[in-house]
Amino acid sequence: MNKRILLALLLLLPVRLAGADSQWILQQSTLSYHVSHPLHQMDGVSHAARGKGVCHDGQCDFLIAVPVKSFESGDSNRDLHMLQVTRGAEFPMVIVRTRVPEGASTSAMIRADLEIQFAGQTAHFKQVAFQLVTQGDTTRLSGTIPATLADFKIDPPSLLTIPIKNDIPVRVDMTWQKEK
Amino acid sequence: MTPNALKPVLGVAILIVLLALISLPLRAQTLGGSLSGIVTDASGAIVPNAKVIIKSVATGQPTESKTNLAGFYSVANLSPGEYEVSVSAEGRGAKVAKVTLTAGAKQTLDLALVAPSSNAGGPSLSDLGFSPAQTQGNPQQQALLDRRSHMLKVHQRLGLITTGPLAATIITSLNAKGRRGTPGNPTGRNVHTALGAVTAGMYFTTAYFAIRAPKVAGTKTHGPIRVHKALAWVHGTGMVLTPILGAIAYSQLSNGQRVHGIAKAHSAVAVVTGAAYGAALLSVSVKF
Repeated sequence: MNKRILLALLLLLPVRLAGADSQWILQQSTLSYHVSHPLHQMDGVSHAARGKGVCHDGQCDFLIAVPVKSFESGDSNRDLHMLQVTRGAEFPMVIVRTRVPEGASTSAMIRADLEIQFAGQTAHFKQVAFQLVTQGDTTRLSGTIPATLADFKIDPPSLLTIPIKNDIPVRVDMTWQKEK
Repeated sequence: MTPNALKPVLGVAILIVLLALISLPLRAQTLGGSLSGIVTDASGAIVPNAKVIIKSVATGQPTESKTNLAGFYSVANLSPGEYEVSVSAEGRGAKVAKVTLTAGAKQTLDLALVAPSSNAGGPSLSDLGFSPAQTQGNPQQQALLDRRSHMLKVHQRLGLITTGPLAATIITSLNAKGRRGTPGNPTGRNVHTALGAVTAGMYFTTAYFAIRAPKVAGTKTHGPIRVHKALAWVHGTGMVLTPILGAIAYSQLSNGQRVHGIAKAHSAVAVVTGAAYGAALLSVSVKF
């Protein structure tokens, strides 16, 4: 019986190795966007991102997605306005795709080209810097994506007839787990 | 039976045949089913102008349609049976699904395109374990949010404008009566009353847009908006009471009397109302 299991494992092993060299799973995340207004400074935070990276031939393709409505700023009315201006009911997910070299996790910093789908638009961000701290199979990644409202063709919402600033930097803090 | 006697029978027969012929398309229309739905891409975004082909499995007969700006497609008059529905949009992917239509049914089939092969090696959205309800867009919900925001923007602007006549009403209250509640100058009283009426009218119009703004199901109110809503109960009540008390005071002063009884509370109620109104405005404007 044990020989059969061993034989089955040996037969399945090459299939797994051919399918993907390794993969990364997002364990924890904190994403926050910052909004500036003459009367307000506020942040919308989400911990609901999910992500996966699949590595082939020395390259890793990452996909991270987070529901737009999962961002909370501490005021339900403001969050509903955010959902409306970003067309979050029509385009409910923020999706980030990137490709990085497989050995990048051993560096202290990487620069990645990001493709972000948000509010029905796709924007590309070149060479965004992220700091990496790797311990064993766990890598903590942090950085800021220099996003703007104009990147996603979002009309700046206003308070007391004064519009918010165009810059909405997104702070990223993620913990990834490598799986063989 | 004579030819003349046959005429009414023939007339009735022709009428029956005509009615039967007229009713045939109606009957066919009733029997035919319809298929409609929303097309989204792998990210859950609406896909306008996607090509939709609905092919009968039994006959191979295709029916073509396209999605509108809201990603919605609809095809009517489909005979009962099994259909293969294929949908595609350039650069955004394709999807094939099967559906069985019954007579007269209004079937809904929402389709999520599978991303094109360029990123086939990488993980897909479905790998992340999000449910279709989380990833698919909802144009109806977006329309509700748009309507809500529009009404609340009007509410905000009118609320700001209302502060003008509100402040003017408070300022003119100084000339609305003489010293120690004596009648004083009637012109000052009339100006104050007129401004008060304008303020009340604008206030209730402002309130209308907040009250009638659509509610979003499943939203738990928290943050400064709770303070704003709580204060609305204070200034809302005040805005009802102040004009009533003011009218009584006006009547007393016009009769040459001093302000007395319950009308003496007019000024105090107005001050509390104005203060609550200002605080409500600040609660959503300035971060404390």
